[in-house]
Amino acid sequence: MTVNFDSAENPGNGAERATEFDRLRELLLGPEQNRIDELSDELHSRELTEDELADKLPEAIALRASRDDQLGRALSPTIETALRESIRRDPQEIATAIFPVLGPAIRKSIAETMASLVRSINNAVEQSLSLQGMRWRVESWRTGIPYPEIVIKHALVYRVEHAFLVHAETGLLLEHVSAPELNLPDADLISSMLSAIQDFVRDSFRPGEGAMLRTFSVGEHTVQVEAGPRALLAVVIRGQAPDEVLEKQQNALETVHLEFASQLADFNGDATAFAPSRPLLEDCLETVLTTSRPKGKTAWLKWVIPLALIVLVLGVLWIRATTRWNRGLDALRAEPGLVVVDASRGWGGWHISGLRDPVAREPEAVLAAAGITPRALDGKWESYLSLNPMLVAARAIRGVDSLRKAIESDRILFSPGSSQLDQTALAKLTSLAVRYRQLEQEAAQASGSVRLELIGRTDPSGTDATNAKLAENRVAAVAGWLESSGISPSRLAHNAIATARPIAVPDSAERARINRSVSFSATFSAISRGSQ
Amino acid sequence: MIQKKICMVGVYGTGKTCLVQQYVQGIFSVKYLSTVGVKIDRKEVKVGDKEVTLMLWDLEGRDGTRDVNQSYVRGAHGIIYVADGTRPETAKQLHDLRRIVTDEVGEVPSVIALNKFDLKDEWRLSADDEEAAGAPGMHKLKTSAKTGEGVEAAFQWLAEKTVNGAEKSR
Repeated sequence: MTVNFDSAENPGNGAERATEFDRLRELLLGPEQNRIDELSDELHSRELTEDELADKLPEAIALRASRDDQLGRALSPTIETALRESIRRDPQEIATAIFPVLGPAIRKSIAETMASLVRSINNAVEQSLSLQGMRWRVESWRTGIPYPEIVIKHALVYRVEHAFLVHAETGLLLEHVSAPELNLPDADLISSMLSAIQDFVRDSFRPGEGAMLRTFSVGEHTVQVEAGPRALLAVVIRGQAPDEVLEKQQNALETVHLEFASQLADFNGDATAFAPSRPLLEDCLETVLTTSRPKGKTAWLKWVIPLALIVLVLGVLWIRATTRWNRGLDALRAEPGLVVVDASRGWGGWHISGLRDPVAREPEAVLAAAGITPRALDGKWESYLSLNPMLVAARAIRGVDSLRKAIESDRILFSPGSSQLDQTALAKLTSLAVRYRQLEQEAAQASGSVRLELIGRTDPSGTDATNAKLAENRVAAVAGWLESSGISPSRLAHNAIATARPIAVPDSAERARINRSVSFSATFSAISRGSQ
Repeated sequence: MIQKKICMVGVYGTGKTCLVQQYVQGIFSVKYLSTVGVKIDRKEVKVGDKEVTLMLWDLEGRDGTRDVNQSYVRGAHGIIYVADGTRPETAKQLHDLRRIVTDEVGEVPSVIALNKFDLKDEWRLSADDEEAAGAPGMHKLKTSAKTGEGVEAAFQWLAEKTVNGAEKSR
């Protein structure tokens, strides 16, 4: 094939040549041309494959996020829906995931609550204990004005009472907060009027672009207005506010513009979207009293008084316990037959050890007699014999008693009609004489003396006269023997009663037998020292 | 809670303030009108199951020397124009007022209250005058401060229009 490019030589064949040229081009570059067309198609028509998307997605997100926050805004409804769905399906999953965040957040919140509680308690203590605080309470009681009002009246430095967030364009109230106990039902009207007054002042004085009514004062109230492009934040202050209030106000307003940018731009009368701004506004509310300022000089005072009270109470308790202890010990020491060797007291009770005569009173009884009942008394007592005359006498009287009983249980029996002492009678009399002498000794120790009465009886047989005689003879026989053994006759009393008071026994033979006898009655009588 | 800013405008002496006085709650006295040039009241209305609070900006009436303050109209969601049925010129002047208002807020739901309707003997507005007072889309009604005729209806119409209109445009 011949190709002639010289068009000037063959002007009549122009069209034919062009076709040929196209054909030539197709022959030479055909496959490449097709490939280019394919690529171009692909470039224009195709969508990203999943693989490519996966490669690009992270960078794309990072890039867009660095440019503006549209991505976040676009994604947030989806994320909210996904979260809601996830919580609906399995709340446990989300609960577990956010648990590490929730714990510290709750702890922090509790700690802050406690801290503020402590602060308010401190304030209350400080106020109620100070002379001033009491004066104010009296004034409150006298005038009937609530105590907090009195405090504010006297001690108020300043108090931010209300904060209004106002939509700049319409003057409508977006949100409003008030200090506790203050109520403002017409906040919406005030809000609108505030913005109207702004317009009024601006229109009246034409102060220039952006200028505005920043503050105005009425009595002790100051209204401080901060304006942003889309909203105003006005606070009502009672007292003299420092610059910090303005700073807080500006910060709050800036944060509102930042966090509620789209709500402010799209505001169409529905203020519910601004409810979350309440905490920001509440940050502006503040009450500062003179007593809220730290006072180094008197700060220790609020501790001293409760401490002194505690010390006083403990002191009184300690003194009372010590007095009781000393009185108790004195009582124990004064008691005959008790020797306190070691005494100590602790939380568990009283620990006392020492010596105790068996005839002495019980230590508990001694303490009870002194009007003391210790919580617990742990006593360790060793027995001993006291030479204290009272105890000696007491012991002697015990001895006298037992000897007397032994003597009185003895009886000298006789054969019927006889007053002769037989062998058994003699043996009994011998031991009785020994006992009697012991009894005399004991009685002497107990500062007394004994008499032995010999009671002579007979059985009922025979006449009264013979029986009386027989009884007398029997008494005389016993007395004679006792006198011969060395017992003074003056100690012996003869009482021959014969059948007058017989010893009662049911069996008549036995009754007769034991009534043929001499029995004894020993009487102990204390003799005064003067007579000895 | 939904709030809407509603402005009441009209020529001096058309009875704007009297018209709404007993239907609204307010804390500011009439003195504000002549001093600050505006008095704000509140009117609560129910639209469907929604509570709507209309913040009613009663603007000082226009007279020969002083015009309606444009700043006060800014951001209004609805307008109540008031004319005096016994003085036809007050209805004509509404057109000027409307221009001032729409310059500031554009087209918003509006009511024209032809007031003093109780004075039927002195009523000077012809049917043509009445026709000419309005503009397309505006709700026109005859009102009376004395009998209260048409007042609640005006509020209700505006509340519904501002609330539902706003929803539709979203």
